[in-house]
Amino acid sequence: MAEDRPVTRKQIDGWRWAGRGVIVVLTIFTVLPMLWMVLTSLKSQFAAMQYPPQWWPAEPTLANYWKLINPADNTGREFLRYFWNSFYVSLITTVLGVVIAVPAAYAFSRFRFPGRTFLFFTVLVRNMFPAVVFLMPLFLLMRWMGLVNTHGSLILTYLTFGLPLSIWLLKGFFDNIPFQLEQAARIDGATRFQAFFLIVMPLSTPGIIATSIFSFIGAWNEYVYAYTFLSRQESMTLPVGIQRFFTEFATDWPGLMAATFLMSVPVVVLFLVLQKYFVRALTEGAVKH
Amino acid sequence: MAEVVLKHVNKSYGNMAAVSDVSFKVEDGEFVALVGPSGCGKTTTLNLIAGLIPLTSGEIRIGEREVSTLDPKDRDIAMVFQNYALYPNKTVFNNLAFPLQMRKQSKDVIDKKVRDAAKVLDITHLLERKPRELSGGQQQRVALGRALVRDPAAFLMDEPLSNLDAKLRVQMRSEIKRFHHNLNATIVYVTHDQLEAVTMADKMAVMHGGVLQQYDSPANVFAHPVNTFVASFVGSPAMSLIPVDVSSSGGKTALKGQGWELALSEANARKAAATSNGKAVLGARHSTLKLHHSGVPGSVPGKVHTVEPTGDVTFAQILIDNEIVNISLPPTVAIEPDQQVWVEFDQERMHLFDGATTMALKAA
Repeated sequence: MAEDRPVTRKQIDGWRWAGRGVIVVLTIFTVLPMLWMVLTSLKSQFAAMQYPPQWWPAEPTLANYWKLINPADNTGREFLRYFWNSFYVSLITTVLGVVIAVPAAYAFSRFRFPGRTFLFFTVLVRNMFPAVVFLMPLFLLMRWMGLVNTHGSLILTYLTFGLPLSIWLLKGFFDNIPFQLEQAARIDGATRFQAFFLIVMPLSTPGIIATSIFSFIGAWNEYVYAYTFLSRQESMTLPVGIQRFFTEFATDWPGLMAATFLMSVPVVVLFLVLQKYFVRALTEGAVKH
Repeated sequence: MAEVVLKHVNKSYGNMAAVSDVSFKVEDGEFVALVGPSGCGKTTTLNLIAGLIPLTSGEIRIGEREVSTLDPKDRDIAMVFQNYALYPNKTVFNNLAFPLQMRKQSKDVIDKKVRDAAKVLDITHLLERKPRELSGGQQQRVALGRALVRDPAAFLMDEPLSNLDAKLRVQMRSEIKRFHHNLNATIVYVTHDQLEAVTMADKMAVMHGGVLQQYDSPANVFAHPVNTFVASFVGSPAMSLIPVDVSSSGGKTALKGQGWELALSEANARKAAATSNGKAVLGARHSTLKLHHSGVPGSVPGKVHTVEPTGDVTFAQILIDNEIVNISLPPTVAIEPDQQVWVEFDQERMHLFDGATTMALKAA
């Protein structure tokens, strides 16, 4: 231990500043593309293709956005269709996910039953393989069930991705709620179900909200399966549909950027509004209160 | 209030018996402490009475009803938990109101009952607070309030004082005793602290290894422990126990230690004669022993181990046959560690246990 020298104030400050430097660089790295996306979406097709590039739009316009949300326009009709499809698939995935994950996680947390550990890890094993591994098997399965080109195929697939994480997160939440609370409730006159709904559920709201966001965003952003399972234009979801901006002869870059921006709005809004639950979900149980 | 009766209650997990053939009866209005070291089955027994875990076999009655298979909510009991188990998202008022809401009482009735209970426990000023904003003692009172508000047939308490600091514990101990007295409540109270059991309970049920060892008033358990486990568990400092041989010659019976012999009175000799294997365990409480600087009749040689003055009484530990023997002395007695002393046993108040079964020996 003779080598140990006390860490000086200066050294601490040095590390702190180095850390801040790294954060600044990373922030620029992640924010710049998004900024470029927004700036491009405000340009005309002509301004967007100029060389040397026009960094700041000289004549900013919202025309690209109007076009997308105008149901009378062909592009708008398509875009709104994709948007609705994505929203619908993500919402159903999320709701079903919560309805299944909450009781499953509760059972894993509270009950000791044969095969409990095995089952719990089986659930997690699903997440250890890359998603593409399941692409062909699932496609064949969907075709066999006649689900290709339906939203059901996506919802089922997204559930198999989302459920393990949801169950795992929620179990952590339930583990943190002392089971004596339920015992107390049952002695106070509640049935098992009432104890769960009146006492445990309200206490695990942050966890349920956080897992909902996780599965919503997961479903909203998913591309590979949506691309494989859906070939009919009217059933496509946003990540797939947006590709139609790339055409054989020209790409409507400003339109594409506007569509991309609108696609990220729900995710960002969800995140900002429910951010505090999110952080709690990830740190809950880290320390004993 | 009502009586609580356990008949041949068993609980096992697989091959492991957590509670074996426990039977006892808590009279209406009686305060019974279930006491024993951790893992002895006392909390399991309480949870069985509450219905939180199912019985393996046996029968439990509360009042006139057999409740063995009923849900906790239908047993008409209230429980106070070690960690209080207050509902963290509810105010104190709503914590107290919950049992009444579950029983579909009207708003006016709930309001009145909650305020009455709050008044009894002096927590009226806390009704709008959340549990986390309360001190340990206040949380404890709220937990009692939630039990009290419903006027149940019996109260079950699971180590309710063990999360409190020493000073508050003594205070709450007398408050619970007062609570029992005022309500004439039937209480089954689990504790690992024999002192709590002795000071609070009308009767104590001493448990060990899932088996009920003795069920009697604290005074009787203290005076007549049925075996060496109960003898050493109840009382502080613990009863001293010395393994000895029983020897009889020429009509005289004596206990033989390593290099000493203790002649027995006639009554004790008859008890010693009942030993199953010729060996016995001699037990004595600290207050029944006398210390001598020379070998008087009826005394046994030993060596001073440690001396602990506490102010009004000095406790000394004497080594006899390498067993520690506790003895209490007036603070004026001057002894030193390693000093040779003699300990005189009181034939009237000594205990004799069987060397093999550890049960208290009884004259044939």
